[in-house]
Amino acid sequence: MTVLSVLAQLSGPPFESLPIDWHALAPEVVLLSVAVLITLVDSIGLERARPLMPGLAGLGLLGALIPVITLAVEGSDRVLFGGAYVVDDLSLLLKAVFLLSGYVIVLLSTNYIAEGDYWEGEYYNLLLFSLLGMVVMASARDLITIFVALELLSIPAYMLAAWRKGDRRSNEAGMKYLLMGVFASAVMLYGMSLVYGVTGTTLLEPIGLIFAEVGTASVITLGVIFVIIGFSFKVSAVPFHTWAPDTYEGAPTPVAAFLAVASKIAGFVALISLIYFGFLGQSDLIEPLLFILATLSMFVGNLIALRQTNIIRMLAYSGVAQAGFMLAPFAVAASDPETSLKAVVTYLVIYAAMNLGAFAVVIALARKTRSGEISSFGGAFQYAPALTVAMSVFLFSLAGIPPLGGWFAKFSVFAAVVNAGTTAGYVMAVIVAVNSVIALYYYAQVAKTMWMDPVPDGDMTPVGVPPSLGWAIVLTAALTLLFGVLPGLLGDVTDSFDLGHLELLAFPG
Amino acid sequence: METTFDLPANIAFGVIAVAIIVAAIRVVTTRNIVHAALWLVVVLGGVGAIYILLQAEFVAVVQYLVYIGAIVVLFLFGIMLTRAPLGEMLDLTNRTMRVGAIITAVILVTIMVFSVVDSFRDEEVDFIAYSGDVAAAQTFADLSAEEQETVLDEVAAIGAEGTDLGPVGRTETVSDSIFRDYLIPFEVISALLLAALIGAIVIARRD
Amino acid sequence: MLLNQFLILSAVLFCIGVYGVLARRNAVLVLMSIEMLLNAVNINLVAFSTRWGVSGQVFALFIIAVAAAEVGVGLAIVLLIYRNRTSIDLDELDEMKG
Repeated sequence: MTVLSVLAQLSGPPFESLPIDWHALAPEVVLLSVAVLITLVDSIGLERARPLMPGLAGLGLLGALIPVITLAVEGSDRVLFGGAYVVDDLSLLLKAVFLLSGYVIVLLSTNYIAEGDYWEGEYYNLLLFSLLGMVVMASARDLITIFVALELLSIPAYMLAAWRKGDRRSNEAGMKYLLMGVFASAVMLYGMSLVYGVTGTTLLEPIGLIFAEVGTASVITLGVIFVIIGFSFKVSAVPFHTWAPDTYEGAPTPVAAFLAVASKIAGFVALISLIYFGFLGQSDLIEPLLFILATLSMFVGNLIALRQTNIIRMLAYSGVAQAGFMLAPFAVAASDPETSLKAVVTYLVIYAAMNLGAFAVVIALARKTRSGEISSFGGAFQYAPALTVAMSVFLFSLAGIPPLGGWFAKFSVFAAVVNAGTTAGYVMAVIVAVNSVIALYYYAQVAKTMWMDPVPDGDMTPVGVPPSLGWAIVLTAALTLLFGVLPGLLGDVTDSFDLGHLELLAFPG
Repeated sequence: METTFDLPANIAFGVIAVAIIVAAIRVVTTRNIVHAALWLVVVLGGVGAIYILLQAEFVAVVQYLVYIGAIVVLFLFGIMLTRAPLGEMLDLTNRTMRVGAIITAVILVTIMVFSVVDSFRDEEVDFIAYSGDVAAAQTFADLSAEEQETVLDEVAAIGAEGTDLGPVGRTETVSDSIFRDYLIPFEVISALLLAALIGAIVIARRD
Repeated sequence: MLLNQFLILSAVLFCIGVYGVLARRNAVLVLMSIEMLLNAVNINLVAFSTRWGVSGQVFALFIIAVAAAEVGVGLAIVLLIYRNRTSIDLDELDEMKG
C-alpha cells in the first residue's frame, strides 16, 4: 500500500468540485467582466460607444483594485486549488502593481488610440485580457497555471504590437514579437515537461520540496535551464533580448510602454514564483545561471543604450539593463532567499512607476515633435518646462540618484547581493555599481539635451498635454518621489511577506 | 515488476517514430510550402498514434480534431491567402543560417538525449499511474509528515516499482482533473481563446 | 516499451523543430516548426503521464488549445504583413536596425 494508492482513493469518482473562494478570485472576476462588457458595449453601441471605452477600461482596472484592497486589509493568506493558486501579501502587492500600471497605460492610450483612428474597443479589450493574464500570474503557483497565464498575457500583446495596421514597422514588430514569444514558450514548455517528468506534479510547492531533496540530475538541470531561458525572452535578458528594441520601436508607443513595464514585470513575477517556490533547492544551478544572465544584461544593455539616437530604442536597451539589475538578486537567491526576494519585488514596483513615467513624457513630447529622435527633444525646457522637469525626475530615478525612487530600488538590490556574503554576491555588487555609473551617462545625456540644447526647428509653441496624459505623468512622478523620500512605505509591505518556507527549500534537512 | 517486452507495440512504435522523423525532416527542408503542410499532417498524425500507444485516447482524439482538423487547415488557408506559388521555391531556407542551425540542433539533441537516457535509463512504460495522481489528489501539504516522506522517497527512487491500481476510465479522470484541480487554467484558456478570436479578426480584416 | 523511446523521439522532433525555426525564412514555415516543438513537448508530457497520472495529459490538452490560438494569431499577422508588402520573407523584415 503506497501513497499513490492512498491518493487514488482521494481523487477517484464521483466528481466533487473543490470549494471556490470567490473573494480571493474577485479581482480576476471583475477584470474579466469588464473586458466582456467592453466587447458588448462596443458591438451594441458601435461608433457612439467609442469615447466611453478608455473610461470604462480605466474604471474596470480601478474597480478590480477594490477587492485587492479588501483582501489586503483582511490579511489572511488564501490557498486555492490545493496550492495552485495563492492569494497572499506578495501576490496582492503584485496584482496592485499590474492594475495600476494597466490604469496608467489606459491613460497613455486614451488620446493616442482615439486620434490615430485605431480599433478602439478591441484595443482596450485586449489590454484588459492581457492584464487579466498578469493578475492570474501573480497568484499562480502551478506550472499549468503559470503557462496559461503567460499565454493569456502574451497573445493579446502580440496583436497589440501590430495594432497600427497600416504601418509596416508595426506589422514587423508584431511578427517578430510573436515568433520570438511563441518559440520561447515552446522552449519553456519542454523544460516544464521534464520538471513534471521528474517530480510527477505541476504544483510548485512539492516540486520545491522534491528538488531540495533529490539533489542534481542531468534531466533536472536541462529542465530548469529551459524554463529559465523561456522566461529570459519574456523579461528581455541578454542574449534573448534582440526582439525588444525592434518591437518597442514599431509598436504603438503606449503598447511599447505596456511591454516594457507590465509584460516585463509579469515575466519577473513568473521567475519569482518558479525560482523561489520551485527551483530554490537547485541552487548550484540557478545561482550561476542567473548571475550570467544578470551580468550580460547589465553590460550589453547599458553599452548599446549609450549609442542610441532614438528615445524608444534607448529606453528599450535601458530596459534590458534594468532587467539585469532586477536579475542581480536572483544570483544570491538561495544564499539569502528573503532579502533577495524583497529586493526584486521592491525594484519591480519602483521600476513600474518610473519607466511608465518616462514613456508618458515621451508620448506627450512626441505629440509636438512627431519624432522619436532624442535630438528632436532639444530645448524642450524652453517650451515645456513641466514635462522637462518630470522627464528629469524619471531619468535620474532610472539612473538611481537619491532622493528618487530608483535610488531605493538600486540600494535594495545592492544591499541584497552584499548581504548574502558569498563571493558571487560581492562580485555582483561591484558589477551593479559599475553599471549604475555607465547608465547615469546616457540618462544624463537625454536630460542635458532637453535642458541645454537649442530647439531644433525653433518652434516654441507649447505642447498641448491632454488631461489623461497629464494625470498619468503626475501620478507616476508622485509615486517615483514618494518611494524615494519614504522608502519605509514599500519596506513595510515587503516586510509583511510570509516567507518562512524559503529556508526549508534553500537549506533542506 | 517483471519487464514485459511487448513486440507488437514496439514494432508499431518503430514504424511511427520513423514516419514522424522522416516527415519532420521534410517539413523543415522541403522547397514546396504546400508539401511542408502535408508532411506536417504526417508528423501530427504520427504523434496522435503515439498517444494511442501510450493509452491516452482522449488526447489522441483532440490531437486529430484540433491539429489536423483545424490547425493544418488554417495553415493551408494561410498559404492560399498569401498566394504562395504552389511549385518549388528556392528561397525558403536561409542559407547562411543553415550550417549554424544544423550544428545547434545536433548539439542540442546530443545533450537532450544524453540527459533523458542518463536519468530514466531502462524504465518501462507500465501505465501504473493512470488512476492515482500525486498532483491531482489534494496537495502534498495535506498529507501527514510520514506520507510526505514516503512520496519523497518514491520520487527519489526514480524507476521504483509501481503499484497496479487496475483500469480506470481515463477520459473521466482527465475531465475530473480539468474541472477540479485545473479549473483556473481552464477558465483562463477560455478568456484566451476569446481574446485571440477578437484580436485575430481585427488584425486580419481589410479596412 | 521503454519510457526513453518516447523521450528520445520527442528530443529528436524538438531539435528538428529548432532547426526549422532557425533556418527557415518563411513565416508560415517557422510557425509549422514551432508546432513541431509543441508536439515534442506533448509527447514528453503524455509519456510522463503513464508514470504519474493524468496531470500530464491535462497539460498536453492545454498546450493543444493554446497552440491553436497561437497559430490563428500568427497567421492573422502573416496576412496583415502580406497585404502591406506582398511578401512574408522574414529576411525582408528590416525596417528597423540599430
